[in-house]
Amino acid sequence: MKTLILASIACLGAAGGAFAASAVNKDAQPRTLIVTEGGSKSELAIGPGETIEFCSSGCFVTLPNGDREALTGNEAIEISGGAARFR
Amino acid sequence: MKPLNRHASLALRHIFVMLFLLVLAGGGVSVVAHAQETAAPAESTAPATEAQPAAPDQSAEPPAQAAPKAAPVASVMTEQREKIEGLTKQVDDISKKVDQASKDDAGLVALRGQLEAVDKSLLDSGIAFRPRLAEINSRVTQLGNPPADGQPPEPEMVANERHALNTEKAEINVLLGKAEDLSVRVNGMVNKITVLRRSLFTNMLTKRYELANAFTGEVGHAVNYEISRLYNSVSSWLRFVVQFKFRAVLAATFFALLVAAVMQFGGRRIFGRLINRDPSLEDPSYLSRLSVAFWSTLLPTLAMGVLLSGTVTLYTYFNVLRGDIGVLLSGFFTVLFVSFFVNCLSRAVLSPDMPNWRLISIESRAAQLLVWLMTLTAFVVGLDAFMGVVSDTLSSPLSVTIVKSLVAALLVGVLLVLIGSVKPFVDEKGTPRPWPTTLRYLLYLIGLVTIVSALLGYVSFAQFVSQQIVITGALLATAYIGFLAASAISDEGAFADTSVGRWLKTKHNLEDTTLDQLGLVSNVLIHILIVIVFLPFILFQWGFQPGDLLVWLNKLATGFKIGAFSFSPLAIVTGVVVFVLGYFITRWFQGWLDGSVMARGKVDAGVRNSIRTVIGYAGIALAGLIGISSAGIDLSNLALVAGGLSLGIGFGLQNVVSNFVSGLILLAERPFKAGDWIVAGQVSGTVKKISVRATEIETFQRQTVILPNSELINGAVGNWTHRNKLGRVEIPVGVAHGSDVKRVHEILLDIARSHHMVLKNPEPFVLFAAFGESALNFEVRVFLADIGNGSIVQNDIRFAIVEAFDKENIEIPAPRRDIVVKAPSSPKTWSIDDEKAEAEYFELLSARARAAQQPAPRRRSKKPDPA
Repeated sequence: MKTLILASIACLGAAGGAFAASAVNKDAQPRTLIVTEGGSKSELAIGPGETIEFCSSGCFVTLPNGDREALTGNEAIEISGGAARFR
Repeated sequence: MKPLNRHASLALRHIFVMLFLLVLAGGGVSVVAHAQETAAPAESTAPATEAQPAAPDQSAEPPAQAAPKAAPVASVMTEQREKIEGLTKQVDDISKKVDQASKDDAGLVALRGQLEAVDKSLLDSGIAFRPRLAEINSRVTQLGNPPADGQPPEPEMVANERHALNTEKAEINVLLGKAEDLSVRVNGMVNKITVLRRSLFTNMLTKRYELANAFTGEVGHAVNYEISRLYNSVSSWLRFVVQFKFRAVLAATFFALLVAAVMQFGGRRIFGRLINRDPSLEDPSYLSRLSVAFWSTLLPTLAMGVLLSGTVTLYTYFNVLRGDIGVLLSGFFTVLFVSFFVNCLSRAVLSPDMPNWRLISIESRAAQLLVWLMTLTAFVVGLDAFMGVVSDTLSSPLSVTIVKSLVAALLVGVLLVLIGSVKPFVDEKGTPRPWPTTLRYLLYLIGLVTIVSALLGYVSFAQFVSQQIVITGALLATAYIGFLAASAISDEGAFADTSVGRWLKTKHNLEDTTLDQLGLVSNVLIHILIVIVFLPFILFQWGFQPGDLLVWLNKLATGFKIGAFSFSPLAIVTGVVVFVLGYFITRWFQGWLDGSVMARGKVDAGVRNSIRTVIGYAGIALAGLIGISSAGIDLSNLALVAGGLSLGIGFGLQNVVSNFVSGLILLAERPFKAGDWIVAGQVSGTVKKISVRATEIETFQRQTVILPNSELINGAVGNWTHRNKLGRVEIPVGVAHGSDVKRVHEILLDIARSHHMVLKNPEPFVLFAAFGESALNFEVRVFLADIGNGSIVQNDIRFAIVEAFDKENIEIPAPRRDIVVKAPSSPKTWSIDDEKAEAEYFELLSARARAAQQPAPRRRSKKPDPA
């Protein structure tokens, strides 16, 4: 029983604490997010249908349609038509 | 009003400083040293208090986030705009302060804390727009796109609304852009602070003073001047106290002494057993020596800290201290505290009076000497720090500070060399032996480095090294004693000898092996505790500030990223804690349901067992799921792992999974339960336990058979006690040919009916089974309420049959067997023994040979031998 508990803890540890925001691109063309996190801006390209994780501790995001959003880092957003929708 | 404020802030500062000193067990020396480097010493703690106004901003955030729904739309914009503007101003202020405080390490740390709070507020501001943005977006979608050219124009109201919405959105975007830019700026400043602090530390270590300039005739004057100013300052304070605050001082001193007395007598009474050495003990165990050393260092030091900080707090409370005197008194108390701590520690380890209790087996004289040398070193280092405070308070010229630090560094260097040259051990002949070579040369090296660097002008470096030697050394030594004690407690039987171990043994009747395991657990716990307690102290010593640790803790709590992998230890710990809680709640619920509800409801033991097991598995699965979600682990991440595992399950774990599922089916369908008598293949016995992989069956020979569940599901299983325990037993019996079979039938039926365990319905039955070769076979078939009594009933009935047949002269024939023995037709025997045959044949041959040789002598006798 102990071995089982330990093994499952190890398994969970391997799966990792996911404290990041995730974005999924529902559009047919690749979309680019501009993410400002920890004082640096970076462009994040998401392919069609791709899901990415970013922004582990809060960030500002500029969406493909020019909208800006602030994220705490636990949101899941869906990009369709360049606009974002929070799930 | 103004002096009151000043006193209040002073009081706060003193409380802060003293608490800091107390908690850090001497860590204050480094703060003082850093303060000494700064131009404006009074500011060293000021930023720390300024950090407080930033905090309410942060805590005021959540309502702002929840507000927009209810508040009018415009207010979100105004509110957040004002807030962002306020934050911008705050950042401008901080930026100025960073430039001003570029030489004040503690100040920089405080500013960094404020910047981080600002960054968080900015993010919260940004999030506050989210509901409004969502509203705007959905409304714009509802309104649809403006009509294309050539299409009929839309109503003006719609066009206006769309325009208003788009304008508002643009404004929000501009504000968010501002917040984003500010956030970038804030992060840039945080990085700048890190760089500044690093260079500050490097500068402090590498700064070189011109000693030649310091040693001019002015130094003597300056020192004299400083001493007289110190005297004036103290004496004017004393006059002030005597004239205006005499009662307050008396009261404060009385309370401080009262606290000291309570600690002295109360502490001795309560902890006396822990810290007093028993001189009558010839050979105290290593663990008790360690424990006494640890406690007799820790408790008196803590008491001293409480006393000193209490005194300062009381004096501050009664407004006895003036600004400079307060700082001086704190500095003086620091010297006392550090010296006391080192003295306690060295006495604890070396125990100069009681050789039995010494942790290291060294000579008594050397122990005495070492205690003195170590205390003196600590005193010199403390005094140096105190003099630094004095110089700061009285704004002494730099040359005085340098000369004082130089003298102190040289003294510490010499003391270290002296400690290294003590000969603490003796060999067999009684001649003194020095420390082990490595330790001795290390001490020499550090001492010489201190002396040489001080002489070369690197006074700050020498000061830093000597401080580290004393404080870090003392802390490490205490921690090391703790580690040794932890290792000693995990030795076999050591834990059982401690007072806790004895208490557990008598109270809870624990076995020695359990106590040993507890010893191991406490070993691990003590290790963790020591690291948690001492690591911060040592980090403070090495120039880290409390703010740094808070930042780390924050990182730990919110998680950090390694590559694309985000990791939050606190969340995982939370998850594990939640799971453990869930596990215990499940166990408790199981026990309650089983013991209180089902036992009183007279539920069958087997059903109880099944329900118990199912609840156990369900509860643990639930606890696991809740734990996983509290750990913030996205289960979709697990899906990947599970996908990988399923392949493995498909191949390697096939049997295990099949057994697991079978186990669940067994528990749900309950073809048998614990306590049933089942027959599965070759195995027949009572079911003891159905677990998730296998079922334990105890045969009637008391052999435990562990049968995989899948076999019980896939194969045929006979259950004697499935719905009830009713069962039939058969007793075959034969009577001799020629007996009165009717009478036999009657007798057998009577016997069966008259047994009290045999059921009347279905009634017993006697079968005339067969005409056997040697007997007429009957079979008595009886039904029993509990098939478990089968053997008893069979026994009784057989005895009764034999008795009754004897009485009635009915014969139970033994099976008749005719054995036909055929006589052998020819008694021809074969020699079995080859050797014997060979011997006989040889005998025969030799007899013939002898017979053939017999005539020859006769012929020879006729012819004489020619030889």
